[in-house]
Amino acid sequence: MIDRYSWWEYVLIYVGLALFLIFALAPFFEAFLVSLRPLDGLFSIPYRFFTDDMSFDAYISMWKSVPLLWRYMLNSFGVAVAVTLFGLMAIVPAAYAFARFEFKGRDALLGVFLAVNMVSGAVLIIPLYKVMQGLGLLNTYFAMIAPGTAFVIPTGIWLLRSYLMKIPRELEEAALVDGAGRVYTLVRVILPVAMPGIMVVAIATFIAAYAQQFLYALTFNSVNELNTLPVGLFQFFGRQNVVWNEMMAASLVGILPVMIVYVFLQKYIVAGLTAGAVKE
Amino acid sequence: MGQLSMRDVRKSFGTAEVIKGVSLDINHGEFVVFVGPSGCGKSTLLRMIAGLEEITAGDVTIDGKVVNDLAPVKRGISMVFQSYALYPHMSVYENIAFPLRVEKIEKDALDAKVKRASAILKLDERLKHKPGQLSGGQRQRVAIGRAIVRDPSVFLFDEPLSNLDAALRAEMRVELSKLHGELDATMIYVTHDQVEAMTMADRIVVLDGGVISQVGSPLELYHKPANIFVAGFIGNPKMNFMPVTCLSSTEKSITVSLPNNAEVTVPVVASGGVVKGTELTLGIRPEHVLPHAGEARVETKPTVVERLGIHTVIYATQEDTDAPFVSLLPGAAPVAVGKAAHLGLNGADCHLFDTDGAAFERDVALSDVDPSLLTQ
Ligand SMILES: Nc1ncnc2c1ncn2[C@@H]1O[C@H](COP(=O)(O)OP(=O)(O)O)[C@@H](O)[C@H]1O
Ligand SMILES: [Mg+2]
Repeated sequence: MIDRYSWWEYVLIYVGLALFLIFALAPFFEAFLVSLRPLDGLFSIPYRFFTDDMSFDAYISMWKSVPLLWRYMLNSFGVAVAVTLFGLMAIVPAAYAFARFEFKGRDALLGVFLAVNMVSGAVLIIPLYKVMQGLGLLNTYFAMIAPGTAFVIPTGIWLLRSYLMKIPRELEEAALVDGAGRVYTLVRVILPVAMPGIMVVAIATFIAAYAQQFLYALTFNSVNELNTLPVGLFQFFGRQNVVWNEMMAASLVGILPVMIVYVFLQKYIVAGLTAGAVKE
Repeated sequence: MGQLSMRDVRKSFGTAEVIKGVSLDINHGEFVVFVGPSGCGKSTLLRMIAGLEEITAGDVTIDGKVVNDLAPVKRGISMVFQSYALYPHMSVYENIAFPLRVEKIEKDALDAKVKRASAILKLDERLKHKPGQLSGGQRQRVAIGRAIVRDPSVFLFDEPLSNLDAALRAEMRVELSKLHGELDATMIYVTHDQVEAMTMADRIVVLDGGVISQVGSPLELYHKPANIFVAGFIGNPKMNFMPVTCLSSTEKSITVSLPNNAEVTVPVVASGGVVKGTELTLGIRPEHVLPHAGEARVETKPTVVERLGIHTVIYATQEDTDAPFVSLLPGAAPVAVGKAAHLGLNGADCHLFDTDGAAFERDVALSDVDPSLLTQ
């Protein structure tokens, strides 16, 4: 590939990226340091980042301080996976329809989807509570999964639609001429070609699903065993003090599934998978 | 099998009519080329035959059956797209096999058909590759392979060579002509390139603004263009046009005076006779311009001279009118930019068009076209 930038542009780009990385990673770094230090020394003045008494003790003791911690993590992961799967089941066909078909009110509907994103989930908590109560779904996993799914769908449709619109129409027309029906074409041609886009949406959805759990679990659930990690973490707030080091350790372990999912899925995000489909 | 006809076929996108009543009969085994400038509706017409575009009015009939409402696959056609439209995630083998997989053809038969197609197209070595690993010419071949594997009675090509470089294009032209001979199928081929049309077609259909301007064999179109549009479109460099005035006419010829008052008698059918003083347009192909000879002389000043070895193309302006005049002289013609060139033309080589642009029929026997004049 030809260099598109001159050297000073590269310097600017990398300085920018470095700054961004520092800002993005600093909280994780600090959380990690806190998780390694004994509770007593945490608030020493002057503040010190590195001390001699660092250890991984908190990563062991946390399981005893909050006995159901593993269960919360499992719940969080399960709810996020369910939200992602159910979400994609709606996102993929909807995004395809919005990308390919002309129908009445299409653009208006897309606008509404965008508007939904601007409403905070918190605004809807009380009506949602009433709905869940009416359906008798309070204190079930479903109470966390259903509203979570509803919230990730609009963004997912927007993301995937723009990707699908870039897939050349001639690919579908070729399949049509070859005798393939709509569903066959979607499954055998469009989905494989769209896989990188679907993976991006899946990752974004999973992260969103993981991040949004606090509110739903807190309000729609009062059964301890069903709680998700963000709510479970509150048990590190003791009566007298907050067990900061264990809480940070649990938070970091709680992030691991997101990282694993990311690493696992990102290999499918291969740029240039459509290379050779059509002329440039 | 492979007979196709269109009856007053029309297509509108919203209020814009794009195909304005096309009627045409294509016989089995013919190689028909739709040619015309960009936007004249070639692709639209082809896609209507394919079943990818709804037919607003009129009928398309394939092998005696009206196919207007049939799905593409039921029409017995297959199509090669300008962009190839290969399935990028599938191997060459799977790309070619795709239509057979849809048909759920038995495994051994499928394999045999794919192998046969890949042998014809010299793709045997590439069957395991993905389209992304192939060159443009190979991708084009895969697209053709996917089309022939179904044994359609009509092949549709939409500018299949326009993404290839000039050398490969020339090579693929020959291969497509060969393929046409081998497959004994009807082929309809869309292009904006008159060289492709002239070299491959049994019959050329010239489209202009959604209507058929002329249908004929390459030599008919070259020697007897029906109107100014076809005359200007077929042939390279383009035909020269100049306004002339009718001096007299007989049943078999019209005598006109050129802008520089030179006179020439053009042998054309003028059965009704043409009134003296009528304004007409005279056309003369650059390759028919003569150096230092001809019944009528044209004095020109060359502005650009292209020497191609086999011939010399001279872009010049006419002395009296400053109108452009292009000539193509054999070999290394003794001309230079800025130095007056004395050229001339014979009436028998000229074309005459009335004020509406319609041609007077020329009285010529159709002879072979010098192929060197068509290379680009
Ligand atoms: N889907 C469409 N909607 C509206 N106008 C179209 C559509 N497809 C083609 N056209 C118009 O029809 C005309 C002919 O197009 P096309 O058949 O693609 O021309 P060509 O293939 O000869 O270049 C063009 O003016 C084009 O803008
Ligand atoms: Mg076209």
